[in-house]
Amino acid sequence: MEFNQIRKSLPRTDALEKVKGKATYVGDIKLPGMLYAKILRSEYAHAKIISIDTSEAEIMTGVRKVVTGKDCKILFGACIKDQPPLAIDKVRHAGEGVAAVIAETERQAEDAAKKIKVEYDPLPFVTDPLEAFKEDAPIIHDQNLEYCRVPGFNPKEGTNIFHHYKQTKGDTEKGFKDSEVIVEEEFYYPLLSHVQMEPHGCIACWDSENSVRIWAGTQAPFIVREIVGQMFEIPLSNIKVQVPYLGGGFGGKSDVSIEPMVAYISRFVPHHPVRLILTRKEVFTSSLLGRGMKGTIKVGAKKDGQLVALKAALYYSDGAYGDTGCNVVTASGFVATGPYEYEHCDIDCYGLYTNTPPVGAYRGYGHPEAHLMSERVMNILARKLGMTQAALMKKNFLCDGKTNAVGQVIRKGNGDIYQCLDEVEKALFTSSKPQENDDYYYGRGIAGFMKTPMMLPNASSGAIIKMCEDGTYNVSISGIEMGQGCQTAMTQIAAEALKISAEKIRISKEVDTQFSPYEWQTVGSITTLRAGNAILQAADRAIQKIKESVAMIAHKPVEDLKYEGEWVRSKSDKNFEFETKLLALSYLSPDGHGVGEPIETTGHYYIPGVKFPAPVTGGGDCCGSWTFGCEGAEVKVSKKTGEVTVLHMAIAIDLGRLINPMGARGQMVGGMMMGYGAALMEEVLFNDKGIMKNPNYNKYKVPKLSHIPEKLTVKFIETPDETGPFGARCIAEHPAISIPPAILNAIQDATGVDLFEIPVKPKDLLAKTGGNHNGKN
Amino acid sequence: MAKINVKLTVNGIQHELTVDEKETLMEILRDRLHLTGTKNACAYGACGACTVVMNNEAVRSCIVKPDKYNEKVVLTIEGISEGFDLHPIQEAFIEAGAIQCGYCTPGFVMSLYALFNSNLNATDEEIKEVLEKHICRCTGYEFIWDAAKLAQKKLQDKSNP
Repeated sequence: MEFNQIRKSLPRTDALEKVKGKATYVGDIKLPGMLYAKILRSEYAHAKIISIDTSEAEIMTGVRKVVTGKDCKILFGACIKDQPPLAIDKVRHAGEGVAAVIAETERQAEDAAKKIKVEYDPLPFVTDPLEAFKEDAPIIHDQNLEYCRVPGFNPKEGTNIFHHYKQTKGDTEKGFKDSEVIVEEEFYYPLLSHVQMEPHGCIACWDSENSVRIWAGTQAPFIVREIVGQMFEIPLSNIKVQVPYLGGGFGGKSDVSIEPMVAYISRFVPHHPVRLILTRKEVFTSSLLGRGMKGTIKVGAKKDGQLVALKAALYYSDGAYGDTGCNVVTASGFVATGPYEYEHCDIDCYGLYTNTPPVGAYRGYGHPEAHLMSERVMNILARKLGMTQAALMKKNFLCDGKTNAVGQVIRKGNGDIYQCLDEVEKALFTSSKPQENDDYYYGRGIAGFMKTPMMLPNASSGAIIKMCEDGTYNVSISGIEMGQGCQTAMTQIAAEALKISAEKIRISKEVDTQFSPYEWQTVGSITTLRAGNAILQAADRAIQKIKESVAMIAHKPVEDLKYEGEWVRSKSDKNFEFETKLLALSYLSPDGHGVGEPIETTGHYYIPGVKFPAPVTGGGDCCGSWTFGCEGAEVKVSKKTGEVTVLHMAIAIDLGRLINPMGARGQMVGGMMMGYGAALMEEVLFNDKGIMKNPNYNKYKVPKLSHIPEKLTVKFIETPDETGPFGARCIAEHPAISIPPAILNAIQDATGVDLFEIPVKPKDLLAKTGGNHNGKN
Repeated sequence: MAKINVKLTVNGIQHELTVDEKETLMEILRDRLHLTGTKNACAYGACGACTVVMNNEAVRSCIVKPDKYNEKVVLTIEGISEGFDLHPIQEAFIEAGAIQCGYCTPGFVMSLYALFNSNLNATDEEIKEVLEKHICRCTGYEFIWDAAKLAQKKLQDKSNP
């Protein structure tokens, strides 16, 4: 297939504004009459609120209003309505909002917030998921069962379990009996902070009792609209949510975070926009966290490496409110096998209330946690079987015709993981491994991955295409540009479909729920697939309209006409051509009448056939798309310090069709470095009072320039996906998934030490390698 | 809170302001002068997003207090190129694919501006030292490094045509 506009590294549509400092983020917006909010936050992980005295704060200079959760009857949530906008009768994590001050300046609000006196009665707390799972654990939500929730979530009365997802295939007990080799291990993936560079921000202004405008740094303006509508029982059409540029999301700005709170408090000062921008500390303590899993996995195989049975249990510390994490829990169950076929599976995923900030989506959505287990276990099992890990993987890969754990048959068009593994092996193993020396061990590791986007069965994306009189086009989508490059990719897809140069397309830069097409939310790496297909449908409809108009004007049958972008030509009459742009506003004939309709069309797409998981097996057609790939790492480990240096990271991913090579590489490298951070650096920690120990950049370290490996390999395989635009599929989260197990497998190769926890702590590793000498076992 | 009178020049324009003693240069730029290209990401000098050039040196504007910016000449991302033009460092960031969410971009550009202005032939180690003071969560730094090297080349070519 020949392409003119995709498979090219066109410059980003947003680059100019961003590099000039002119791109607007929510914190850059100033509105007339705007007031500023600051939040007083709980210093207790779990406590009853006895009293709140706001009298002193109320009389401070510039203070317009002090709002608490007293008398608040609202609980919100997209799937489980378990969260109040401000704590009502008790706090469930340190950092939870207890009161809000609205003042004329941010400083005034901050000063006044310090004058609020809150009396607490501390309660026992729990931050660890396994502790929270115990029968005698402190119960964080007494009303667990009473919350309003959408179908498909299974809480357990009298416990902290707000969702138990169970998936079964075959007969696991029999499977283990039939197995000749069994491996069983426990793993820990800590809570992480997304550390988007732009802190969460939101402005809300109530124009009447049932009408509100919201400007938010969110990946999900239509979810914000829905939830705000439910909270106040107002028409969704009266809610205007606008999203300017987003300074990074990674899932931590999806569903909702601070928007319900800002909508709630701003209602007390109608007609004033109220702005809340989180501090960096609040981003850590009071927005969303990601991951946080303790799990066990047991796999059984035949001596020849044939995988037979898998039993896994994943326990998620999902924080004070379960709504944001409930689907992550389910998604991890879909992929607990890793990219391999097992005849028998028994998978339990538990979402647990804990006294940490709420935990939600984070690049990979349950997949990195599941793959840490599956890909480490493949490494261990291979050694036990006396095979290479690659050979074991190849023997069991899910591929064309094989059935995954949820019962879906994988198609060729889902991608070729064999080729991905070959590319990673080639990148990693072509040169010989450096010889162990007095200072370092050297090792190499690989890990596979598969990823599916989690979504509602009817989650859709829309697109609007409008031709201008000069033959240029305005294209609107509601995919949020948060750095991933969706504006540029969508521009290229629209240009390819309309057979014109990308320069003639102007993609919408801001999203406004009252003007922009519907978009469920920008999550699951799905914009290319879903919004891309919506654009294709809108473009097809525009082309059809164009042909119909020309047919009427030229008195030719539609079937005789060929659309060629700027011109429409005839198949039978070589001399006929018609300039497309003359149709933009409908055609004005020389004798002065209008013909046809203006070229303005819409398109929509949702992945057909996706259903909620079946009640008993947890399976069925619950996954809408699959992407496969492999990652690898080469490391050296210091014999003196246990320090791990990553020398080379590699990824090969079957992305179906490359849209923008430079943009795609940027996603791959950025994602691998996020995986690097998780493997070696990042971990949210709590002290003995349940208060976060490291809510800042100085203590929660993220990768910097010096951490990039000397070598980065990125390989793209293009097995077209018949459901994707020009064959393209989802790719953005994927590189973050399997770098941690690849690095741990490489550390094993180097030192002989099997690790089951991240981040790797040099001191622990040093101790396990037997200190400063050759500790290879 | 004590008030202080300060004078400073920002992007060639002189300003006389009465500020709070705690009011940082970042707040002056963003809230008073509406130069929002300077980004607030941590407000304690750890991430580099708010970097501007003050008297030819890269500073983290979120921790610069009035006594430090009084009587100083400040350049922000809005001041390094005229009108529709781009500075070669800005061109390099676009061409190298170094921009994703864009929130850290102005800080990186301003740090490199200060570096190359004082030392056009900075070594790779010197460039790395400067970039190490910044956090980018999107790109994984590969293309930022490429942009820095490309910018240096563009500036060198410009000074020795």
